Order: sequence, then structure tokens, then C-alpha cells
Amino acid sequence: MSDAAPSLSFATFLQGRRIRLTPGGLFGRICVALLLSMVCAAVLIGLSGHNPFAAFAAIAQGAMGSEHQIGASLNRCTPYLLAGVGVALCFRAGVINIGAEGQIAIGGAGAAAAAFAFADAPPIVAVVAALLGGALAGAAWAGIATAIHLGRRVHEVLATLLLNFVALLLVQQLLAGPLGQFGAGFLQSPLMPRSAWLPRLAGFDAHPGFLIAILAAAAFSFVLWRTPFGFALRVAGSSRLAGAYAGFSLARLTWGAMLIAGALAGLAGGIEVLGVHRRLIEGFSLGFGFKAVTVALLGAIEPLAVTPAALFIGLLESGSLAMQRQIGVPSALITVIEGLTMLFVLAATAGRK
Amino acid sequence: MSPLLQMRGIVRRFGDLCANDNIDLDVQPGEILGLLGENGSGKSTLMKVLFGMLRADSGSIAFKGKLLDGHTPAEAMAAGIAMIHQHFMLIDAMTVTENVMLGWPEAGRVLRTKEISSRVREASKRFGLYLDPDAQVGALPLGRRQRVEILKAILRNAELLILDEPTSNLAPAEVADLLVILRRLRAERKGIVFITHKLPEVLDVCDNVVVLRLGRVVGRAPVAGASRGQLAEMMIGRDVSAPREVDAAKPPGQARLALRDFSAPGLLPLTFEVRAGEILGVAGVDGNGQFELVESLSGLLPARGGVLELDGRDITRSTVAARMNLGLAYMPADRGQKALVKGMSIAENVMLRDSRRPPYARGPLLTPARAAAKTRALMADYDIRARGPDSIVARLSGGNQQKIVVARELDRGPAVLIAHQAAWGLDPGATRFVLDRMIALRDRGAAIVYVSSELEEVLAISDRVAVMAGGGFAGVMPRSALDMRQIGLWMAGRAA
Ligand SMILES: Nc1ncnc2c1ncn2[C@@H]1O[C@H](COP(=O)(O)OP(=O)(O)O)[C@@H](O)[C@H]1O
Ligand SMILES: [Mg+2]
Repeated sequence: MSDAAPSLSFATFLQGRRIRLTPGGLFGRICVALLLSMVCAAVLIGLSGHNPFAAFAAIAQGAMGSEHQIGASLNRCTPYLLAGVGVALCFRAGVINIGAEGQIAIGGAGAAAAAFAFADAPPIVAVVAALLGGALAGAAWAGIATAIHLGRRVHEVLATLLLNFVALLLVQQLLAGPLGQFGAGFLQSPLMPRSAWLPRLAGFDAHPGFLIAILAAAAFSFVLWRTPFGFALRVAGSSRLAGAYAGFSLARLTWGAMLIAGALAGLAGGIEVLGVHRRLIEGFSLGFGFKAVTVALLGAIEPLAVTPAALFIGLLESGSLAMQRQIGVPSALITVIEGLTMLFVLAATAGRK
Repeated sequence: MSPLLQMRGIVRRFGDLCANDNIDLDVQPGEILGLLGENGSGKSTLMKVLFGMLRADSGSIAFKGKLLDGHTPAEAMAAGIAMIHQHFMLIDAMTVTENVMLGWPEAGRVLRTKEISSRVREASKRFGLYLDPDAQVGALPLGRRQRVEILKAILRNAELLILDEPTSNLAPAEVADLLVILRRLRAERKGIVFITHKLPEVLDVCDNVVVLRLGRVVGRAPVAGASRGQLAEMMIGRDVSAPREVDAAKPPGQARLALRDFSAPGLLPLTFEVRAGEILGVAGVDGNGQFELVESLSGLLPARGGVLELDGRDITRSTVAARMNLGLAYMPADRGQKALVKGMSIAENVMLRDSRRPPYARGPLLTPARAAAKTRALMADYDIRARGPDSIVARLSGGNQQKIVVARELDRGPAVLIAHQAAWGLDPGATRFVLDRMIALRDRGAAIVYVSSELEEVLAISDRVAVMAGGGFAGVMPRSALDMRQIGLWMAGRAA
């Protein structure tokens, strides 16, 4: 038999595959999985004694009902998309990076620090410097995980996952010390200098983060499919042996993917701090990094396809509060829907070759 | 007597390619039927249809007088058909007995390990399998693992066994053992379909042969009375059995590849040279250091000591990429994981090792259109049969996959070529084709190290023959002074 061995996991299954827009293809299966999870959610809502259609309508209303709500939804999608693109790139390269959570948090701190340092600079310079600070900090954090992984041969899942906890504690320490605002009664920084604030679109309250994220998704999709570097990532992700045989340095590829992912996650943290809260707050990004993994897998670890996945999750979450308010269905149900969606997507794509 | 298996008018298409075109096939109880045909002639497809892994577009299958229609592999197995896959479906961490019990209702809900273990022992003795019920499968050599699959089939009362190229990655001694086992199965009135490219095996063990070409039956004959030449002619339409005499090479030029006390983990220090215009054949039973030799020459295994030079340049510590840039080509034996990325397209596999160079890339960008054009040219040149450059490699037959590796490595016009089992899974015609290409490369001044466990292949191509045993060279002799007895002694001498 000439067929490849059965795939072990979703990520290995997807590596080296292009999305094909056919009903039987990956894309079609993911759509079916989404549909099924919505049906399940409807049944659950029905069982809890509410009208599922009214609930879905409330979600849609809450996510896209007004200019302000659209803006808030897009802001919500932004970190998922940015970090998700980086995670997707890593997974393509066969590097299971679970560290976006910590990289986002550190990125937020880096952006805040840079913003204070450039407080007197003209706005353009300050914004660019602060965002760069976020990206660099995120990349540095990912770099630590990579150095541990490659240098000490610790599995990358462990290295990235455990550093998340260290990152959260480190941000806490920073907020209790150099970056903190005294007497706030809460671990947060002073308000960012105005020059570093991201502008917001009037009425929508949307910052330009989503635009940046879409550009990043498009750019890295291009890198993945149209450059020798992307090709090397895909080969190494499909088979380490083939990657080494092809003459690629697996260590260098791992560094590349991890640093890019760290920078994107750090950028996501920076945008969240400069565009949404305008200060660094403890736990401002809680769960974002894990959502990024969900979004990356939902988007078939294809940077462009991560965009609709991030929109789906972001809109769902942003509409869920409205549903709770108007219909009385607990917004925690959204977490259930997300879980179901993941399960269905895994079943739909990993079950068959 | 009614036949055990009766396939009638089997048709199976893949798109516009007709892989099986109206095929009839009968197997009697106690018959070993050789199913022959060059790569891509439709043998595996026919067997997958029989086993329920593929659905036929039309035709009928009767097994023991009962029609099988739209059956699954599980139903085929329940009916008494077993397929011995080339990639075994075994769990390495479990014992032979545990593997036999896996997914077998008769093993009981509470596993009757003792009882099954004694049945394993008994059947193993009866069919000459020499399997220890308590041995861990992961520790067994390939040939033994295959026997575990055969054992599973026997204990599940299979009456028809399908073996698709079972010998293509076995050592010669293991092949001989397998043929003995097949004869015992025949004596127990089992029916067997035996797919192979090796004519000596056919002559040795088969009762009848059916030959496919381009999806059709082009010959049926009893083996008794047929000669090697006749069978080969049936297979590819011309007689290729006589290995073409290697024309006395031009006197070789200066050394292109030189080893001085070069060693690696698992490889004793070696000192030899391969000159421009020379092919050094390396024979020997697999597992005697061949893998370590080719991998350390290509840079995938680090050297332990000594010096390795390519055209006078020291490359002992060079990276794989650096060696490639200096003109070192390598065809690894591990096709599935290393030489090819099976989930990718033909074009992507053609550019696997040259993805930064034209015509595959230009500056920082890939150039897919040029890559496709180049791939199309190579597919025509090397007779790689597939729908196009975008076809996924996993879907190609093994022979076509190997031709991609050969095309890629030869097309670069290398200074030195390291080839390991380069004709593995190729039919005789394709093997000849590959060997001819390598000889042409040699005549253009390249140095070639041709490593294979097929002695015949090595002899057909080499200017000098080395034999590996116990991690080193047992001896080297020029082709002009070939002494088969000596080679045999070398191979047996320090072999594992
Ligand atoms: N799943 C598939 N999809 C498309 N073409 C296939 C598939 N499987 C086999 N083929 C094609 O059918 C032909 C017969 O293949 P196969 O039965 O594997 O040949 P053999 O086993 O005789 O070498 C080949 O041309 C092969 O490329
Ligand atoms: Mg085949």
C-alpha cells in the first residue's frame, strides 16, 4: 500500500495540505462541523427552555447590531487572529506552540514599557515604538521557550505551556513594581501617554488592529505558500526526516516560526493595551492565547482561513452577553459551543483520510 | 471443483485512468497465483477491490460460491480473505500474542491470553513461522513481523491470502523462509495471490501467473514449463532478463569521493576512493552498516572520525546543504518518510532539495508555474505516470514514487551520487531504466556509490563491487575479476 500512515493528530493531519474549496474537502468538512455544532447548541438552548432562534438572533444583534457593537466585535477578534496566525505557522512547521497566552501578556507589558519610554515622542513615533516594543517582547518570550526546547531538548509543548504561567506572574510583578500605578487598589498601570494611543474609528470605536491582523494573515499565508522559507516550514512539519534530507536546518526553522509567532502574539498584546484598555491591567488577556490555538485549528492552520475562524469565535463571544441579557441563556453556553465546534472539527477532519 | 475465488469483469477507474479494465481472476484452493505486471499496471488496485478497500465500478466477485458486493475489509476478513500489507498493522510495544488478539472477537471479552498463546505456538510450528508468542513485535526483524501478519491470517481461518509485494524489503534469507511458508500454506489448501517483481520467486513458488499491463490481463500461464525469459517478456513486452553487459568503462579519472579512516556510529573506519566515471557497488545483507555508510556520506549522520573529501575538498563536517551545493546527490532507502513528502504534490517533491534555486525560486519567491513546467518535463523524461505535477505523491504507485526521487537527484547533474536501494519496488523494466540513467551519469564523469541488498542489481551496474558485513567492508573486487564464490563468502562471513 502506498498510502501514508494514519495521521496521529489533527495538526499532523493538516500539515502539507492546501485548503480546497470543495464540499468533500477540508473547507467543506469544517463548514459541516460548524453547522452541526450550531444545531447542538440550538438543542441545548431548547432543552434549557429557551427559544434557540431568539437566542441566535440575540447573539447576532449583540455582535453586529450597532456600529459600536461591530467595532467591539472586531476589536475582540483582533488578538485571536494575530496570535492565531502565529500559532498556525508554528503548527505547520510541526512546532506545537502553546505559548501564545504568555507571549500576549508579555507583549502587552513590553508595549506599555515602550509607550512610557517614548511618552514625549510625536504620536506616530510613539505608536510605532510601542507596538514594536510589544512585538519584540513577545518574540523574546517565545525565544526563551525555543532556547529551552532546542538547547535542553525539553518538549516544546512543555516549554511554551509552562512559560505561560511564568509570564502571567512576571506581568503581575511588573504591575506591582515599575509599571504599576500606586494606590489604584488593583494591579494596573497608569493610563498610557496619549501619544501612544491607537486611534479609534468614530462611532465604531474600532481600533486599526483588525486591519493589521488581516494584513498579517494575508502576508503569512503568502510566506507559507509562495516562499522557500514557507516551503521549508511545510516540509519540516510534514516530516522531520524529509526536512533534514532536504538540507534545511530544523533548528533554524523552529527559531523562525517561534519568533514570528511570538512577535505576532506580542503585537496582539500591545494592540489590546494601546487600543482597548489604554493601560496594562492584570489578566487583560486571560485565555486569549488558548483561544488562538482554537482559532488556528478551526482555520485549518492556514493563515488566511484563520480569519473567518477568528471572526466566528470573536463574534460569538461578543454577542453572548447580549444573549444572556435579553434571553437569559447564560453566556457560558458560548464556551460550550466553542468546545463542541472544536470536537466536531476534529472528528470531521481527522476521522478520514 | 469450484474455484475459491472468482472475479469477473472487474473495472475500476480513477478519473479518466482505467486502473482495472475488465479483469477476470480465479484462484483455486491450494494454488499460489503469481500476479505480475510492471509498476502501475493495476495489481494493487485489483487486490484492494477484492479486499473491499476500493469499490469496483463494475464486475462481480464470488468467494466460496458466495457473491461479495460492496463489502468492507472487515467483511472480507470475516468471509475468509486476508491481506498482508506492506506496512504492517502491528503494535510495536505489544507481544506477538497480544497483536494476534487485537481486534479478534475469538480472543474473548476477558482475554484468554494463555490459550491464544498456545495456539500461536502450535500454528507457528505447523507453518514453520518460528515465532515466539511472548516476543515483543517491535524487537522483531521485518521478516518476522510479516510472519505475525501471516499468523493472524491463519488463526482467523483465512482461506485466501493476498500478499502485495511481500518480498520487496526482505533480506534474501528472509525471502527464502517466506517461500517455504507459502508452500506450507498451499499444502493446507489455502489459496494465495502473490504479487512480486522478482521472476526467480515466481519460478520457485507459483503454480500459475496472471500478467497485467495498463490495467488489462495480457497473459495467463502455468509456471511449469515457462522460462524466465518468456515470463519477463510477457510482463513488459520484451526480454530484459539478460543483464546488459556493462561496457568496460573508460579508465576512471581522478578521485571524486575519498574516505580515509572515515567512520560513524555503527560504521567501522573505511578507506576507499570512488573515481570520476566509476560506479562502486556495495552489496551485502541489509543491516550491516549500509544505512550508516550512506547517511554519514550524505551528512545526515555525524561522522565519528577520519576524513571525507569530495573533489579534494574536506566535507567531513559539512552540512547536508553544503554537500548538496558541492554536487553530492543522495537517494535514501526510506522513501516514505525521508526521500519524499507523501502528502505533497509531485512538483513540491521534485523541488524538495532545490527549493531556493531556479527554476523553483527566484530571489525570495517561489515560482510555481516554472516548477510545474519543469516537473512536467521530468515526468515525461522519467515516465512518471500521474495526472499532473499537482498530483499528491501518496496516491502514486511505489514505482512512480521512486522515479520522482531518481529524477530529482539525477537531474541536478551531480558530481557524486549515493544511491541506496534505488530500484526498490521497481519492475524489471523500470529498474533497467534507472540503472541505464545512472550509467549515463557515470559516463559523464560522475562517481557513484550504489548500495543495494539485491546482488543482481549491484553486479549489473558496478565497475567495482564491495561487500559490507559487520559494519565494514569485507572485501572489494573489480568487476573484471568477479568471483561469485568469494562474494558469497564475504556476504556470509561476517554477516549478522
Ligand atoms: N487512489 C488513487 N487515485 C488515483 N490513481 C490511482 C490511485 N491508486 C492507484 N492509482 C493509479 O492506478 C494505476 C494502477 O496503480 P496500482 O494498482 O497501484 O499499480 P501496481 O500495484 O500494479 O503497481 C496507477 O497508474 C496509479 O497511479
Ligand atoms: Mg502495487
